[in-house]
Amino acid sequence: MIEIIEHTADIRLRITAATREDLFREALRGTIALLQPQKGEREVQCDVRIEAGDPTVLLVDFLNEALSNAHARREAYDDAAIWSLTDNRVEARLLGTEAIAFGDDVKAVTYHEADIRRDAHGQWYTVLVYDI
Amino acid sequence: MEKRALTKVHDWLWEIPKSYRPDMRVPARVYTDEKMLDSILGDRSLDQLINVATLPGIRGWAIAMPDVHEGYGFPIGGIAAVGSDDGVISPGGIGYDINCGVRLLRSTQTASSLRERLPKLVHSIAREIPSGVGRGGPLRFKKNDLDQILRDGATRAVEIGFGTDEDLDRIESRGAIDGADPKFVSDHARGRGGDQLGTIGSGNHFVEIDRVDRVFDPAFGIEHDQVLILIHTVSRGLGHQVATDFLRVMVGTMQRYGISVPDRELACAPFRSPEGQQYFQAMAAAANFAFANRQIITAGIRRAWKHELGDDLEVIYDVAHNVAKIEKHAVGEVLVHRKGATRAFPGQPVLIPGSMGTASYVLMGQQGSMEQSFGSSCHGAGRVMSRTRARQQVTATELRDRLQKLGIVAEAGSSKGLVEEAPEAYKDVDAVVDVVDRAGLAKKVARLVPIGVIKG
Repeated sequence: MIEIIEHTADIRLRITAATREDLFREALRGTIALLQPQKGEREVQCDVRIEAGDPTVLLVDFLNEALSNAHARREAYDDAAIWSLTDNRVEARLLGTEAIAFGDDVKAVTYHEADIRRDAHGQWYTVLVYDI
Repeated sequence: MEKRALTKVHDWLWEIPKSYRPDMRVPARVYTDEKMLDSILGDRSLDQLINVATLPGIRGWAIAMPDVHEGYGFPIGGIAAVGSDDGVISPGGIGYDINCGVRLLRSTQTASSLRERLPKLVHSIAREIPSGVGRGGPLRFKKNDLDQILRDGATRAVEIGFGTDEDLDRIESRGAIDGADPKFVSDHARGRGGDQLGTIGSGNHFVEIDRVDRVFDPAFGIEHDQVLILIHTVSRGLGHQVATDFLRVMVGTMQRYGISVPDRELACAPFRSPEGQQYFQAMAAAANFAFANRQIITAGIRRAWKHELGDDLEVIYDVAHNVAKIEKHAVGEVLVHRKGATRAFPGQPVLIPGSMGTASYVLMGQQGSMEQSFGSSCHGAGRVMSRTRARQQVTATELRDRLQKLGIVAEAGSSKGLVEEAPEAYKDVDAVVDVVDRAGLAKKVARLVPIGVIKG
């Protein structure tokens, strides 16, 4: 689930999911949706492998990698096949379609306020602040 | 934060003492009047400023300008000077928009002489200057050619035909920051933004045709009713990626240097460390890309101007408001981080873009800035309303009507982009500029009002 929370200059999302893998996939969808891609027909994929010091940094770095690739390759990812996910490493294939254009810009996913937690119902969640 | 935590130093300056939080290394200061202070206290700007006051090697004060607003890590409108030998460099203290800055051009036209031809002129400029999200330009550079732009900035742009040597004399650092090294600009950064030279981008970036509405102090050859052109843009996707790349590096290496920060977006490394130096060299390269970008955009505007009016345009000045530079101040040699703050050395033009439909300012840096703010001033009006709320409160049709009634011709790539930058989304730029003028940081030279706007 993706909720938008008010922020004066930028965009803040709260992402919630049943598993940590789903949290990564949902956050990916939320991030790319902010770009408002105009999608083409051609299907695309992009393999990524990220290592980081902790799970939260791993998520932010994963999303920034996806964002960089989306901009550079003009691709809109709406899902990921996550092959391996530990506290410090993620290997995944980003899946989507070519992007003919983007309607909005996202400069980066920031580390500010990002903190992966589990709530009392076992749901995984984090807030993400984007520089737009 | 509660207002009672601040002490009034004088009518335009408030201070949060070092004793406010045990990890502060210096006090935090905000230049504002009391009315704007109440608004500033409405978000977390000052909590973020206090976090900045904890950075290793910080000198004097962590400083906020009156246009300060909440960011992530550093507040937007913040200044931090750290010792060049014992301090840290923080990519968050510059931001993702490396060398976001403003260039001002002078025409020989007056607003009254231009009125009839304005719509065609605006359209002609919009055709010359690509704008919009991720939009690339017509220029394609091979790796070695891009490296020369990254190393030499606007100087290289002039060498390959975009402008003259006289232009370079009127750009901060002559359009090239020393120490830039293209080898630290990643392939990701080149892939993301290498084709964006000569483009404005989106968001609050624009080209504006302005009329001089009021002259406070005759300087820089600016006269009442004269037409000036303001360019506000940045290093585009290339700079965004340089910041992302090095924040990631610094988040991963801070612990090795025994540094902890209250917010990961303040991630940093000792300036003299390999990581610190590599970031500085990459940031300088991205800053040079932005100087070259504004130089190439200037050439496009000149082409349109020449075509429509048969006239040329002269550069008045070009200055960054998101950058880190090594400077000498009373406390010694420091690395000054300016994130949404403009260098304001005595006698230097200080360019303050406002929002559409309000005003922009030309100021002149004063000696007071050297004594109080590490040679810095404000950078704009400062947002007070989220983009989401702006879209809810303003419609594109209503805004276009309003701009038309004000005599402003606007060409925007998207209606959404237009309403997000509506005047009510920003602070009162007149009040912001009053504070820096009265505090002695930069004095008012001229107030400009838009007559033509081109944005993504």
